[in-house]
Amino acid sequence: MEFSFSSKYPFTSEARQKVDSSSLELNDEIMERAVQRVVSALKGEKGQPYRLHPSDELLELGSYAAARMMLSYLKNRFLTGRFAVAEAKRASAFMRSDSEENLRKLEKELGIEPVEIGGKLVLPVAQYVSFSPRSVDYRLIFRNVSDGHVEVNRAEVIRLMEEAVKMRMEELKPIQNPPKIIQEYSRRLMALVPREAVMRMSFKEGDNPPCVERLLEQLKGHQNLGHQARLALAVYLLAKNVPMEKVQSIFSNFPDYDEKKTRYQLEHIRKRGYSMPSCATMLSYGLCVADCRIGTPLRWKAWTKAKSGSS
Amino acid sequence: MDEGEKRFILRLFSDYYRKAEIEVPSVEQREFGAGGFEKKIESRHMGFESNAALQNYLIRDTPLYISHSIAYYRFPRATPMENKGWMGGDLVFDLDVHAGLFLTKEEQEKVRGDAARLVEDFLLSDFGIRRESIRMVFSGNRGYHVHVMDPAFRMLGGEARREISDYIAGKGLDYRSFFSSPEEDKWKIYGPKEGDRGYRGRFYRMAVKVLEENPGAIHRRLQKPEEAALLKEGMRTGLWSKTSIRDIVERMEAVAKMLPVQCIDVDTGVTIDTKRLIRVPNTLHGSTGLIARELRSLDNFEPYRDAAAFGAEPIRIEALQAVPAQEFLNSTMEKLEKGEKRDVPLSYGAYLLLKGAATLSS
Repeated sequence: MEFSFSSKYPFTSEARQKVDSSSLELNDEIMERAVQRVVSALKGEKGQPYRLHPSDELLELGSYAAARMMLSYLKNRFLTGRFAVAEAKRASAFMRSDSEENLRKLEKELGIEPVEIGGKLVLPVAQYVSFSPRSVDYRLIFRNVSDGHVEVNRAEVIRLMEEAVKMRMEELKPIQNPPKIIQEYSRRLMALVPREAVMRMSFKEGDNPPCVERLLEQLKGHQNLGHQARLALAVYLLAKNVPMEKVQSIFSNFPDYDEKKTRYQLEHIRKRGYSMPSCATMLSYGLCVADCRIGTPLRWKAWTKAKSGSS
Repeated sequence: MDEGEKRFILRLFSDYYRKAEIEVPSVEQREFGAGGFEKKIESRHMGFESNAALQNYLIRDTPLYISHSIAYYRFPRATPMENKGWMGGDLVFDLDVHAGLFLTKEEQEKVRGDAARLVEDFLLSDFGIRRESIRMVFSGNRGYHVHVMDPAFRMLGGEARREISDYIAGKGLDYRSFFSSPEEDKWKIYGPKEGDRGYRGRFYRMAVKVLEENPGAIHRRLQKPEEAALLKEGMRTGLWSKTSIRDIVERMEAVAKMLPVQCIDVDTGVTIDTKRLIRVPNTLHGSTGLIARELRSLDNFEPYRDAAAFGAEPIRIEALQAVPAQEFLNSTMEKLEKGEKRDVPLSYGAYLLLKGAATLSS
């Protein structure tokens, strides 16, 4: 038995209609699944554990809907971000082996509709920039762009769809007075979340160039950043002699934070003596925001000091 | 500017608005902001039910500056911003000249050429936007505004708009990223090829041109026709290693240097702001008295001739500072020394007054 389209992609309108037209009611079984769904997202388990048997479609859809309701109620950006990442990865895992028919349906749903022109797969520019991941490989400037289209391949389309799912998951409708059962399980959920995971980070502001401030800002809002952005931020903080543990704790604000991986990567950066990307490189990664013309973000403090001294 | 002069200017503005044709698409969904002698935007969150209501306001309450939101709102007058109900916004580009108080002819021509290239090379060619959805407007001062009203781009957020703006400005463009070598065959270099579009295509075409016209600029050895032909043949299919020049990618620096010439210096801050206020086309700019004129074509447009609003009736002014000679209304305005009094055409007089470079004289 195959998983249904709705089970694989519970965020689609088809799935919502199924839930609406069924007489599904929130019960303990659904709520427990929903809590599990969020907790496994927190652990970075990428969705495998909460895959149910295909015949449990309504339980699957119900638990997804209930999880979203709890997140709306809790308004915790960290939890929401982690959930978004996990759900997006879960969906893209299905996409990679799904039928053409299902993929076309999903493309339509997400507003990412590639077409073939002259034997090449292309995507309308507006769709492309709406969902392109923040990574240098996807920067519009390095792509083939013409007549309103960007050349892409199938794998890239799936990556963009994953991004679209993530963005959809990050958006939550506020809910007033949720059912008692949602409130009750939300409390249970919070009790299961490790305290440090929701702790707010602290970092002295104002001492950093605008590009780094922006990264920190996004981090504080528990937004996900691309690989280059993380690397730049890590190198910057280490170069500023921020202790390793502190960097680690700052990075734990990322919705897709993985403690072991992060520690390994930070060690790696330190051992290999990675140098800070120059302003020009930051620019080409799409991370430059201010055009301060100081050569390297590390020169910021000296530069602002010199500036305030001269005026 | 003294009170009398301010009244004089506002009367000119009001008279202009009696005859002007101001038409803001979806006017009832836009937020408006107006400014006066103190600030370009003194009040925001205004709204108008119709273009006629807007025009009435301009005639009666005559602000010095009037802007509308690039955004469409459900409730344009609501505050704070979150309550307006954003329903998307036009994609807008702002081209400006960073120069002194008065522009030289060259500066004017450069920014006009840039605006034309923005429309032709980027908006029409690369982004496939239809000409009917593009509104080109002289900013009323130094540069140009280009409004794109294509529904496909309307819902883009700030980050997506930044990608587009960076693309046009060539921000972070590093030609080395066009090249790659496969892991298993390090000697092979793949790069832009014939038929490529976007910057890859531009780079390819420039490289071919340099190879044909001045191959020595890339490498001495390419002056031999056989060597250049070999490279060119490989390049056509994207294989750039068909040459004895090992550091061919580095050598292409000479070509890459010309790439920024093809970029356009658009103001990113304007494009990425989805709630930006921008001058209403065909209204007057309060720092010049020139019309922020909507243009069907940029060809042959000369701001000081074609955007002057008040005609050539003479008016006596006294220069508060030295003013260089410049073309205005089809004739040459001689340069003015500080303290010099002279009769000048009304449009030019208002222009100098608003620039703070002259005062009314009797």
